[in-house]
Amino acid sequence: MLDAGRHPKINLLSYCEVEEVSGEVGAFQVKVRKKARYVNEDLCTGCGACVEKCPTTVKDTYNEGLGERTAIYKYFPQGIPSTHCIDAENCRQLGQGKKCGICAKVCQANAIDFEQQDQMLDLEVGAVVLATGYDVFDPSVIPEYAYDRIDNVVTAMEFERLLSASGPTHGHLDRPSELALRAEVAVLEKDLNKVSRQIDRLEEKHGKKTAEFLKEFEAGKAGEDEDFERWATLAEKQTAAEKVLAPLKKREAAAQTAKNLAFIQCVGSRDFRFNRFCSSYCCMHSVKEAMIAHEHDNQTTSSIFCMDLRAVGRGFEEYKLRGGKSSNIKYVRGRVAEITEDEAHNPIVWYESTTSRQVDHETFDLVILATACVPSAGTPKLADLMGVELDQNGFFKTDPFAPLDTTRPGIFVCGCAQGPMDIPESVAQASSAAARAAEVVATVPKAAAGGGE
Amino acid sequence: MVIGGGIAGIQSSLDLAEMGIQVHLVEKLPCIGGKMAQLDKTFPTNDCAI
Repeated sequence: MLDAGRHPKINLLSYCEVEEVSGEVGAFQVKVRKKARYVNEDLCTGCGACVEKCPTTVKDTYNEGLGERTAIYKYFPQGIPSTHCIDAENCRQLGQGKKCGICAKVCQANAIDFEQQDQMLDLEVGAVVLATGYDVFDPSVIPEYAYDRIDNVVTAMEFERLLSASGPTHGHLDRPSELALRAEVAVLEKDLNKVSRQIDRLEEKHGKKTAEFLKEFEAGKAGEDEDFERWATLAEKQTAAEKVLAPLKKREAAAQTAKNLAFIQCVGSRDFRFNRFCSSYCCMHSVKEAMIAHEHDNQTTSSIFCMDLRAVGRGFEEYKLRGGKSSNIKYVRGRVAEITEDEAHNPIVWYESTTSRQVDHETFDLVILATACVPSAGTPKLADLMGVELDQNGFFKTDPFAPLDTTRPGIFVCGCAQGPMDIPESVAQASSAAARAAEVVATVPKAAAGGGE
Repeated sequence: MVIGGGIAGIQSSLDLAEMGIQVHLVEKLPCIGGKMAQLDKTFPTNDCAI
């Protein structure tokens, strides 16, 4: 990443989208929209002072919505380019028309520019490589897995963020139900503190404790004062809030990290209702996640529910066996029929084991869905722009004997934009696509190619 | 021009740049890295993805 950001021959156009393509192989003319960041890239040092002071928080897409970020933000801490960006929609000043501008005040580099506009760039290029990747399948359309109803059913990518030391839980396997509980307690505590502060002020003003006042007030001996009605209501509110908060806090204190995990394979893939194809990398992804979870806490046990575990690459089978032996992973052959939930928010997995031929159920702390790899949302639009065809699954169409060539000469494809594949395969394809693109550019006279790739 | 700044786009751009070809790497998000930057560790060595 850093190398790509620094290379003198790479013009890094982040926060940009292609809008128009014309011309033909060797001489494409491309219009690219450079979206306004409202931060001057040349001045921003990436210090993060603006993030500390920004008053608006929104769900963080990088952390799959499990964490929060501010309206001015850096996509992720190690992000390249190391420049911040204002999310205009959620910004108080830009999106809601309120007076704010705190970030501009604290920025020592004077990099904030609320007047910045989108820019259109014209590029002359010889060849195009499509490396637009994939999207994670949304499992909420599968009713039996209850992804949108049960907190402790997460996708593989969400689990990845929970496991990450730089993620929302700092790498501890806190369950989403506990995270929700913590957030609820925090809100209630904030309200309670507000009430308590008001009561404290009244106690000070009238020189007596609330208990003493309430006794007098109820007996009608408190006398007349405009504060008294309010004081009594506040005291009532305080008792009620404390009553609600106590059991929640007890539950919060008793909460434990997830130790018993279930991984469900082929969620949205190899399923005739959604996608018929195999997403290829999810088997090894689940094994890896189970191993990392065990590495983090060696009390962790995992069950992987699969039709068959496809460990087809070099060293994959050994990796799978190593996981089973040293990381407490149990492989269960069978497709999960349903996920339900008990009172303690533990998901219950109902399945038929095809080895024992029994219908069974088991309770887990957390269920991870190995979600399918589907074409990214912008693929049809981009295919239209580029004038290339898509295959039956919605990925860019290629020929088996020319797996990097799209249906239009001079436009190549690599990685998951072509079909589901793992990282080593993506990297190999990327290098191959680079070679194919270089062939085209090298044969075009320099003047025609405009020196651009 | 390479469209997409994930692992494939980055690798493609670097290879082309190493061949001495000028590359425009277009990414729609504010930072490059793609899905791989979201992964904690990568298979099979369990090394950090970033």
